[in-house]
Amino acid sequence: MTRMYAVDPWVEKPLEAFVVEAGARLALLMTPAGQVIAQYGFTRAVDVMAAAALGAAIVASTGEIAKLLDEPTFSVLNHQGKRHGILLAGFDTPRGRMVCLAVYGPDSTPGLVQLFFEEFSRDVRDACPETEAPKQVLAADFERELNESLSALFRT
Amino acid sequence: MSLVNFTTREITCKIVYYGPGRSGKTTNLQYIYDQVPPERRGRMVSLATQTDRTLFFDFLPLDLGTISGFTTKFQLYTVPGQVYYNATRKLVLHGADGVVFVADSQIRQLDENLESLQNLQVNLLEQRIDVRTLPLVFQYNKQGLPRELVLPVEELDDAMNFRGVPSFGADALTGNGVFETLRSVSELVLRKLSEEPSA
Repeated sequence: MTRMYAVDPWVEKPLEAFVVEAGARLALLMTPAGQVIAQYGFTRAVDVMAAAALGAAIVASTGEIAKLLDEPTFSVLNHQGKRHGILLAGFDTPRGRMVCLAVYGPDSTPGLVQLFFEEFSRDVRDACPETEAPKQVLAADFERELNESLSALFRT
Repeated sequence: MSLVNFTTREITCKIVYYGPGRSGKTTNLQYIYDQVPPERRGRMVSLATQTDRTLFFDFLPLDLGTISGFTTKFQLYTVPGQVYYNATRKLVLHGADGVVFVADSQIRQLDENLESLQNLQVNLLEQRIDVRTLPLVFQYNKQGLPRELVLPVEELDDAMNFRGVPSFGADALTGNGVFETLRSVSELVLRKLSEEPSA
């Protein structure tokens, strides 16, 4: 099932355009720590949380290898398998660095995905607001609900 | 840093299990994975060597349920404890909202615990994180071993827990102290989130 999930609405349009135009199955936009900011595509194609954690780790570790080689950060990593390929890339935005993981099938190519990724990263940079007004997240008296949730989770 | 989605009202927090090699970080996650209902957890991913030592990290996503109207999710990570994996340890630590320091209670492992704790502080400082403000919990694992082999919790607190943060004796193989530790760090992370407005 094609599904859009986004923490911020400004990312939805560029992400959907990227997936459609590149012929990708799924694209994730995440923080360098592997937390998913947005996702669009066939989410059943892959375990999203695990893929995000692994993708962020690959980008982080290749970035460190680049540092060891005194190279600028490697921008894009492509792997093409028999049935699926992945593109992994980091790019800077006004809100800091972000990481994109795109999964594509035989109906697309690494070149096509990379071409539209360049456009996507530009669109995200343009659409991304620098700051967001602070919002209250949790009520101060959240402990009771936390304890109930943890008890349910741990069956204590 | 916690990720807050105000549209879908979701919070995602990252908790890192840190500590010396073979202190029981992966065992903590395995126990949690085994005990938590399947619908409340995702797939556990382990990047390990052929001898089952952690090479990069273990990863376990958990769904805590709804708190203050927010669906709250935790992502648990372990770091590789072995000294020569410091580069990957730094990467896993990046963006952590809270840390569980899993110490090995065995008397002969005290120096390794202190070295790992010092390494945690250095790596946090490098990422400009003040260890005094980061939610931190100590777990003194392997308390189930014979008494003559392990240090009691009070002595381990004296040796490592300078800030007086929550600490727990544990035996991760049997699960003793595992959930208490996770409960405590969860509370600290969410309390910190409730005290500071999200950017």
